[in-house]
Amino acid sequence: MSWVKSVASSENVFDEDVDDISLQNKEWKYNMEKRAKDGFRDGSDAGKEASLQAGFNMGYTEGATRMTIIGQLKGIMSAVRCWCQVQLPGSPALASVTNLLQRLETHEDELVEAMRKAQQRPPPSVTEMVDDMENLNVENRNQGGESRCSDNGDCCGRDGANNDCCGNVRGVSEDSPRTLCQGSFCTAESLKQLLKCCLDLITELGLPEELKLHIQQLTHT
Amino acid sequence: MAFVSDGDDLFDSIIMADDRFRDEGYQEGFEEGTRQGTFEGRNHGLLHGAKLGAEVSFYYGFALAWKCLLQNSSDVKARKRLKAMESLIGVIQNFPYEDPQYEKLQEDMERVRAKFRQVCSLLNVATDFKEYVRGSTGMSF
Repeated sequence: MSWVKSVASSENVFDEDVDDISLQNKEWKYNMEKRAKDGFRDGSDAGKEASLQAGFNMGYTEGATRMTIIGQLKGIMSAVRCWCQVQLPGSPALASVTNLLQRLETHEDELVEAMRKAQQRPPPSVTEMVDDMENLNVENRNQGGESRCSDNGDCCGRDGANNDCCGNVRGVSEDSPRTLCQGSFCTAESLKQLLKCCLDLITELGLPEELKLHIQQLTHT
Repeated sequence: MAFVSDGDDLFDSIIMADDRFRDEGYQEGFEEGTRQGTFEGRNHGLLHGAKLGAEVSFYYGFALAWKCLLQNSSDVKARKRLKAMESLIGVIQNFPYEDPQYEKLQEDMERVRAKFRQVCSLLNVATDFKEYVRGSTGMSF
């Protein structure tokens, strides 16, 4: 606030001793800074109050949309598991379904954990936030859980190995500064794998075609 | 304009400076507060929306799958279950759960949960699902 100085040293000061003037200048400066700080505090409270609800509404819709695919997939495979328990009790097929269901749960947990972690990070700068929001808008228009990251392979340092459908699901890496984007990319890749595994299992079990169509629709959401 | 003395001018400029400092501080504070509020609000919203979205989507996928599995069955029990599934699917399809300002959000959520419990009891699978539904989303019924 450089204009503090300029106001303090304007000609609207009593023409007196230099010492008196410098003391008055200091007092003036102190008082004006205090006004500014008080104003800042009031403004900050007001700004926060005004934006909390709008922020919440924005986040809520985004959060709900993010979980659509994994949620539905979990529901579908839970139903399939029930069906297997009755039709194919104790079979390896039942074990496969149970195992897949656990992986779906893990994926869901990862998504939620990423959101929880976002709360702990300090608020981003305005530019970062605007960028993020623009990316998210594009993402929401296109596909549910898919990657928002433009640089495909490099984002989380994957070398593209292990594309085996029922291979290990990679965990979320935290190294990138744009962790939100990266987290989504890592779990988005494994979501594609999970969808494929579900599809394969459904086919193997000889379940109705319509069920496969539902899963395929999720893949293209 | 009436004659204003030099003394009045001086006090006016002191008061104006006072306001000016306060106002500028307020502006800066408001911008900072807005940024923080949006950030915090959005993160809270994300988690709330995720919980609800995951739950409703789960019920939806569950009902959809069972509908497919029961479709070609002819026995009475299966037809009754199929009807319950279709009812649950219908309720969810008409539920704008992603809209945080939907005035019947809580009400419809309870309705969906009740229908799901009904479906589970018809399938005799109530116990199994508590573990799936509870999990990370922290819901239980």
